[in-house]
Amino acid sequence: MKIIGVIGTNSENSATRQLLQFMQKQFAQQAQIELLEIKDYPMFNVSDDQSDSDLIAGDAARIEDADGVVIATSEHNRLIPSSLKSFLEWMSYKVHPFNSKPVMIVGTSITKQGSASAQLALRQIFDAPGVGGIVMPGNEFLLSSSRTAFDAAGNLKDQGTVDFLGKCFKTFLKFIQVADVLNTPEEIKYEPGTYAVTATGHNGTVPMKVTFSEDRIEDIDIDTSGETTGIADTVWERVPDQILNGQTLNVDVVSGASVTSRGVLDGVADAVALAGANPDVLKKRPKASKKVAAAPTEYQADVVVVGGGGAGLSAAATILEAGQKTILVEKFPALGGNTVRAGGPMNAANPEWQNTFAALPGEAETLKHLLEIPIDQIDPEYQADFKQLQAQLDAYLAGRKDVLFDSKLLHEIQTYLGGKRTDLKGNEIHGDYQLVKTLVDNALESVKWLEKVGVEFDPSEVSMPVGAKWRRGHKPLKEQGFAYISALQSYVEKHAGQILTETRVTKLLQENGKIVGLKARNADDQQVIIHANAVILAAGGFGANTKMVQKYNTYWTKVDDDIATSNSPAITGDGIELGTAVGADLVGMGFTQMMPVSDPVTGELFTGLQVPPANFVMVNQQGDRFVDEYESRDVLSQAAIDNGGLFYLIADNNIKATAYNTSQEKIDEQVAAGTLFRADTLEELARQIKVDPAELVKTINKYNSYVDAGKDPEFGKDVFDLKVEQAPFYATPRKPALHHTMGGLKIDPQTHVLNEEGQVIPGLYAAGEVAGGLHAGNRLGGNSLADIFTFGRIAARTAANEKPAPVETDATTGASQSDK
Amino acid sequence: MKFVGIVGNNAADSTNRTLLQYIKLHFAGQHEISLCEVKDLPAFNKPASHVAPAPIAEMSDQIAAADGVIIATPEYDHSVPAALINVLEWFAYTTQPLQDKPVLIVGASYGALGTSRAQGHLRTILNAPDIKARVLPGQEFLLGHSLQVFDQQGQLTDQAQVQSLEEHMADFEKFAAANR
Repeated sequence: MKIIGVIGTNSENSATRQLLQFMQKQFAQQAQIELLEIKDYPMFNVSDDQSDSDLIAGDAARIEDADGVVIATSEHNRLIPSSLKSFLEWMSYKVHPFNSKPVMIVGTSITKQGSASAQLALRQIFDAPGVGGIVMPGNEFLLSSSRTAFDAAGNLKDQGTVDFLGKCFKTFLKFIQVADVLNTPEEIKYEPGTYAVTATGHNGTVPMKVTFSEDRIEDIDIDTSGETTGIADTVWERVPDQILNGQTLNVDVVSGASVTSRGVLDGVADAVALAGANPDVLKKRPKASKKVAAAPTEYQADVVVVGGGGAGLSAAATILEAGQKTILVEKFPALGGNTVRAGGPMNAANPEWQNTFAALPGEAETLKHLLEIPIDQIDPEYQADFKQLQAQLDAYLAGRKDVLFDSKLLHEIQTYLGGKRTDLKGNEIHGDYQLVKTLVDNALESVKWLEKVGVEFDPSEVSMPVGAKWRRGHKPLKEQGFAYISALQSYVEKHAGQILTETRVTKLLQENGKIVGLKARNADDQQVIIHANAVILAAGGFGANTKMVQKYNTYWTKVDDDIATSNSPAITGDGIELGTAVGADLVGMGFTQMMPVSDPVTGELFTGLQVPPANFVMVNQQGDRFVDEYESRDVLSQAAIDNGGLFYLIADNNIKATAYNTSQEKIDEQVAAGTLFRADTLEELARQIKVDPAELVKTINKYNSYVDAGKDPEFGKDVFDLKVEQAPFYATPRKPALHHTMGGLKIDPQTHVLNEEGQVIPGLYAAGEVAGGLHAGNRLGGNSLADIFTFGRIAARTAANEKPAPVETDATTGASQSDK
Repeated sequence: MKFVGIVGNNAADSTNRTLLQYIKLHFAGQHEISLCEVKDLPAFNKPASHVAPAPIAEMSDQIAAADGVIIATPEYDHSVPAALINVLEWFAYTTQPLQDKPVLIVGASYGALGTSRAQGHLRTILNAPDIKARVLPGQEFLLGHSLQVFDQQGQLTDQAQVQSLEEHMADFEKFAAANR
């Protein structure tokens, strides 16, 4: 019989600990009592969920494995100590190990009451559905005057007390058997057939068919054709698999896709109800069996890559091209990182191709503005290149200015100027010349390499993503960011690269200063050790780690605790922490990019009505315009922050027609869900978004008059398309969300990670958003993909080239070995 | 009168915080109400010294200078959340600012019951000898369905609840005056 004894206090000298230690000894013949300490538990906080931590998840697993639990509580102010309450809150939030577990309560107090009141409260707490233990009735063991109750050897002095405790514990062992009867699974009978239900997906509802025989769920068929490819793929396979294997609805959600996981579970629960059975019975069933953690597995590779987004996969593919062995580890179940969320276009100057497109009105103006920048405003290292660019521009403007211009130098100077920023403390930052140069000189080669690997680009369109400043975007033919990931993943798998998903790196291994591999943990909680000549960190930035952004932020006046992010939840700065743990230097950490027009709750970019900025009308929570809608991303974001964060995009029926992200069905769905507002009059719309109707009408009338005049005296907007006049009217709530983190590990142009003395950390390389210095204070739209595919490949080439030569086994070494 | 409101939840989003912020604004004409948070405080661990850590001492001073305290508690697992118990443990063990202090208990919950069980436990704690607060008897302000009853500006939209809150506050004012 295995029993867990919970020491219900965090204080060092506690009689509860003594009592449980005594029980452990005294009842060693009847049961194996293992003690559980709660003193290292953090205070429970729903805003800082740590249910996944080794401590909490580990203890939950121990409790789940046990036959019963004895809880020893002391009494603080008639209640249980906050430390014990906090422990129980953790054990009833995301994990529920006490569910249906037999529990015995014992207690101690310094005073005479012996924790009677605390024990009563504890029983009530166990009645709460989230906690769910089955507490043994009666047999109340109260140890009063605890300071004098034990002798020096830790034994209870009073024989009567010992006997009573023995009787209570014996009853508890019987009670465990009674509780087991309660826990025998309930029989379940279905009305056989196939039932159609819907699950909640990422982009709305997903149709699902569940087939039952009389006593089993036989099949779950989900139609995912309407879903974004890549993001939740694992959910559609894994959750149904676990439901079918375990015939249970007690299934863990897939990390990074909790909404869709729950969607599937709720959908199947609906089907179970339709089939005439009680889904709660299935929710109480045990989980589908999981493999038990085994001894560590060890692997050997030439290069191990951390992170399965675009940078990591292109690095792995390049190592395979060089004929070396690689292993890629990814902490999430699915590959893709932030790359699958990317809009698609990748910047690379390719003048031959770009020259086949006509120049657009205004583009010559942009180039003239560049020509007019005085040279002393250009940092010294860029001056020579800037002069060369000026010569190119002069020649272009004097000649064939009817076709689209581009050059590596224009890409370089735009990346540099676009990234130049000063933070709130007056620190100036601009892109590292060597890194910027490396990017623009190799980006086109990266495009060509991707084509070779299997990414098809659309040659008929040269695109300019938001914030790109120039049309040099190469856009995949289909599926946006997923196109890169699927092509690279199949390349790596086809060339015998090993991919370990759900494997979270915990530590880099270092020997004599050189990185020689890493330690990680996989989904079965098994330790994974990988020995390698080199480690490439490609784990992404930290845009999904608000605390880390707040810690380093020097650019924004405020980063809200509840700020949303457009990032994958995987992007939490793990690579940066792994690097700094071995001494890596950081650069530009205070600079982050926000996407001003994001969903206030989910951070998604493509909900609501997304129209070209010329057609946006942005109003704050007072119903007033507050910024030129055509401004750059960071001006818009700061303006929104200054206006309380939340703002609205106002549209009318004609503006709605210019939205590029939606369909009538999605609009209706969002209006019904309350995430998009629609009304027949502006006044009614104002009431829905809780702004003063008169104020909103005044604002819109003014805006319409500016469109008529072609001039906005208030905020200087100069590109207009449409007035707001045709009902129905729409308001899309928006708020800036964290989008890209520019700072990261300091690298050289060969991607070696540098330490604080500026020296190379041997064996460690970094590429992509995990590294800093390239984009400096602000990243041009379309440059992130250019970055990851260029530096990902460079990291791989550098690491492969620096593989140590094999030790030669000639006569001399043979002799020295035989000497030993 | 001068009241201190204690937000009994350490979560970033809490309707108990919204409730106290609403109370602060709604009664701004009659009372000066300052709010305290239980988040980010050190965990109580019975230090031998019996000395309150700085943030506890600060909160304690605020309470000592007030005419009464309004505690808003959420309900976790049928009881008071650990973060709020923690503060009360510190008080009981160190500065004891709630001794004979008039206290009004309020609570907001997502479900229908509006923290009635947690309020029961909180009364028990506040009655313990080391705390010995004077809790307004016979009054329970239970705000159920708390996600639905506030609008975006944090205004309580349910007029019956507003009226009930006003009555509670009027009683509490008398109770606090009598205990001064």
